[in-house]
Amino acid sequence: MEDNCEGCMELFSQDGVLLKQAHSYYIQYFNESGTLYITEYANTKDRFIEWKPNSVTVHSDSHDSEWSFVNAIYRGEQMSPQPPDSKPKYIKLDMNQVRSFKVSKKNDTMTFFDGKGEILCHFFFQHGNCFSLFAALKGLLKTTVSKRDKNIHIIVDETLQLNKSFATLDLFQDSQSASIVWGFVRSFQEKPVETAFGAFAKIGNTIGNNFMPSSSPQPIEEEVITNDVKEYERGVESSDGASPKDYEIIHSSPELPSRLQYPRGNPLSYDQWTALQDSEGRIEDVEYTKLHIFRGGIAPSLRKVVWKYMLDFYPWNSSNADRKTILGKKEQDYYDMKLQWKTLKPWQLQNFVQLRDRLSLVEKDVTRTDRTLPFYAGDNNKNLQAMSDILMTYVMHNFDLGYVQGMSDLLSPILYLLQNEVDAFWCFAGFMERVCTNFDADQAGMKTQLSNLYILLKFSNPTLASYLDNQESGNMFFCFRWLLVLFKREFELHDVFRLWEVVWTNHPCNNFHLLISIAILEKQQSEFIGEEMGFNEILKHVNDLSGKLDVNDILDNAEGLYYQIRESSQLTNEVRQILGLPLIAESSPKDDSTDSIENELMANVDKAYENGLHTSYF
Amino acid sequence: MSYAYLFKYIIIGDTGVGKSCLLLQFTDKRFQPVHDLTIGVEFGARMITIDGKQIKLQIWDTAGQEAFRSITRSYYRGAAGALLVYDITRRETFSHLTTWLEDARQHSNSNMVIMLIGNKSDLESRREVKKEEGEAFAREHGLVFMETSAKTAANVEEAFINTAKEIYEKIQEGVFDINNEANGIKIGPQHSPTNPSLPGAGGKDGSQGGGCC
Ligand SMILES: Nc1nc2c(ncn2[C@@H]2O[C@H](COP(=O)(O)OP(=O)(O)OP(=O)(O)O)[C@@H](O)[C@H]2O)c(=O)[nH]1
Ligand SMILES: [Mg+2]
Repeated sequence: MEDNCEGCMELFSQDGVLLKQAHSYYIQYFNESGTLYITEYANTKDRFIEWKPNSVTVHSDSHDSEWSFVNAIYRGEQMSPQPPDSKPKYIKLDMNQVRSFKVSKKNDTMTFFDGKGEILCHFFFQHGNCFSLFAALKGLLKTTVSKRDKNIHIIVDETLQLNKSFATLDLFQDSQSASIVWGFVRSFQEKPVETAFGAFAKIGNTIGNNFMPSSSPQPIEEEVITNDVKEYERGVESSDGASPKDYEIIHSSPELPSRLQYPRGNPLSYDQWTALQDSEGRIEDVEYTKLHIFRGGIAPSLRKVVWKYMLDFYPWNSSNADRKTILGKKEQDYYDMKLQWKTLKPWQLQNFVQLRDRLSLVEKDVTRTDRTLPFYAGDNNKNLQAMSDILMTYVMHNFDLGYVQGMSDLLSPILYLLQNEVDAFWCFAGFMERVCTNFDADQAGMKTQLSNLYILLKFSNPTLASYLDNQESGNMFFCFRWLLVLFKREFELHDVFRLWEVVWTNHPCNNFHLLISIAILEKQQSEFIGEEMGFNEILKHVNDLSGKLDVNDILDNAEGLYYQIRESSQLTNEVRQILGLPLIAESSPKDDSTDSIENELMANVDKAYENGLHTSYF
Repeated sequence: MSYAYLFKYIIIGDTGVGKSCLLLQFTDKRFQPVHDLTIGVEFGARMITIDGKQIKLQIWDTAGQEAFRSITRSYYRGAAGALLVYDITRRETFSHLTTWLEDARQHSNSNMVIMLIGNKSDLESRREVKKEEGEAFAREHGLVFMETSAKTAANVEEAFINTAKEIYEKIQEGVFDINNEANGIKIGPQHSPTNPSLPGAGGKDGSQGGGCC
């Protein structure tokens, strides 16, 4: 698609519109004021919602053709790869992509949803309200008000000539809708607001659009198989003698849209951080702050400050005064807990084997954690003492979890960075809140992660997944260390800092670290397959990647992968669930098969765990 | 480098007994007291000579932590040799040997050669497990026994090499089916299958593992 402004008609415009939220690609314009347009192209009759920042001079009715335009979202064939260095100049949102929109109670913001649970754009109307835009939209679109939230307007696809209003439709009688509601209820408990938006938008989708992604007709399959074989052959080009028939070819493999580049942005600077706070030191726009960190990380000198927010030491909305109080309380609590174990009498310890064992394990492990870093080197190092005290106090803080190997690896970078025992303790405790299931006694959390990793890989790269399966590596055990300590052992310390802070933002989804894993694995694909690596070689190869990985490149690809998967036309519910996207009703035959694959996989992982049995050859 | 055989070893035993230090002493001839604790598994490799033949040892050093047992077990299968290590200065590491042994026997092939190792022999003053106890345990369970020190390197070479000798003898006796790679033995790429000293060494092309380690 080209930005041809010939025959482009402006149907509406309003200035003083602040961009509050959009794809993180546009982060540089967040909170900037600009002009909002509705445009229509004469030849195609396609309509767009466009927003241009004031910082770029705009001639409202003649679109400067030098401007490179970027679709507000990337999907399907509309994906147009962005040259890595060119920044998007403005937002152009195809109205066909909008499934619903919401007007805030005060009528001063309007939010557009894609019907997949994602916000396309969120605008704030500086001067007054959004009435005129609302009126313009009503004039152009057929909409219906959501049954549950009168502020949400769902766009009805006129091609379907659905004349019943949303309110009178008997939505929940068929299984499709029932499943939507089920998915809605499930995720509502976790993310009430987002879920509500997403789910309502989705309901709009079912009514308004018969072309549900996953109910697309079957013939696609044939094409996919051919594609798969091609991909496979590409993979084994370098090796001779292997026949593609040796490996199972996955039949209904989805085709992903092409990968876009998401080069990393600039780290959050001290000035930017200061500007983000109000006069009393509260962070005003948390989502924006996190997005910025997701894109570019945090400037090294600022990490010490911002990590405390990311790891729930300070609430984002705490004022300078609040933080003083919080710090005092945290110090007190820490030293109280520390005193609890420090003051145990020898006979108490003697008769408390669980505690004694944990304390002695901590002692043994602290002397075996990052001792090659000058910060932890040498005997009688006070930082070692601090590490040991923090871990022992954590045992008192969370006795059910206690201490499990791997935790010292998670603490080490935090203590190194913060250089303060109390700060490090609470930040470590905050980190543990996120990853504590990694340390389940029955390893249930790790099992789930490894199986989720496999599900995502199977969806995004079935060739690699089935190769690993054939090499008895489908349990993904070779990624165990990556996930247990969140890549701490795979990167140099400063890259670990960067990777962790990006993951802590929870953008673009909670399981971003699994996409990071896939981004790393797919780079190994040609070696895995080309060198016909088996169970042993794969494990060794992955182990040996430590210290050889480029963190920015991996984050870039992991983000690209997220959008590829999300925009795939054959997205399944099990994948949606892992990525935290709202579930939708799927056509039943496919549903059954994916379910059984998942069950089978879980059973396999379970079995492997139980027996630890895995045939392994050289 | 070419080799006649490749043997896969595993090193198992409680956390902190010195498995990683033993491996490093054997492969690099150095003692690194501040070695990071092991998560999952680590690797080492070294070439040795037995009976004039080059033998490559591919050694998997597993994590001793209880919680990871279900993962580390999956690495046992397909090992020709195992070093089962305890710490002579910590009795509980000796008490856990039975569990380790059961685990190893259950999850590996029956011909696997197991060497029992009492490590940290340099710490005589802190000894909690007598040498005789180790010997008795080994006798009872049909293991080879040795006390070592990863710190001073005492008996470290011997531990790894004697295990290899035993495996080698078993091959000569025809006990190991070397055509079945699940036994943890692989014939080197340069070796012709007609070599008379290798019973039934035909068939399998060993070239694929040559680049590993
Ligand atoms: N004095 C002495 N100390 C040793 C010896 N071997 C190991 N150590 C010490 O024991 C500690 C544990 O050794 P590791 O090799 O890390 O133990 P591991 O068995 O690999 O432990 P995991 O990786 O947790 O399973 C290290 O801090 C070493 O300093 C030895 O022969 N003599
Ligand atoms: Mg170790």
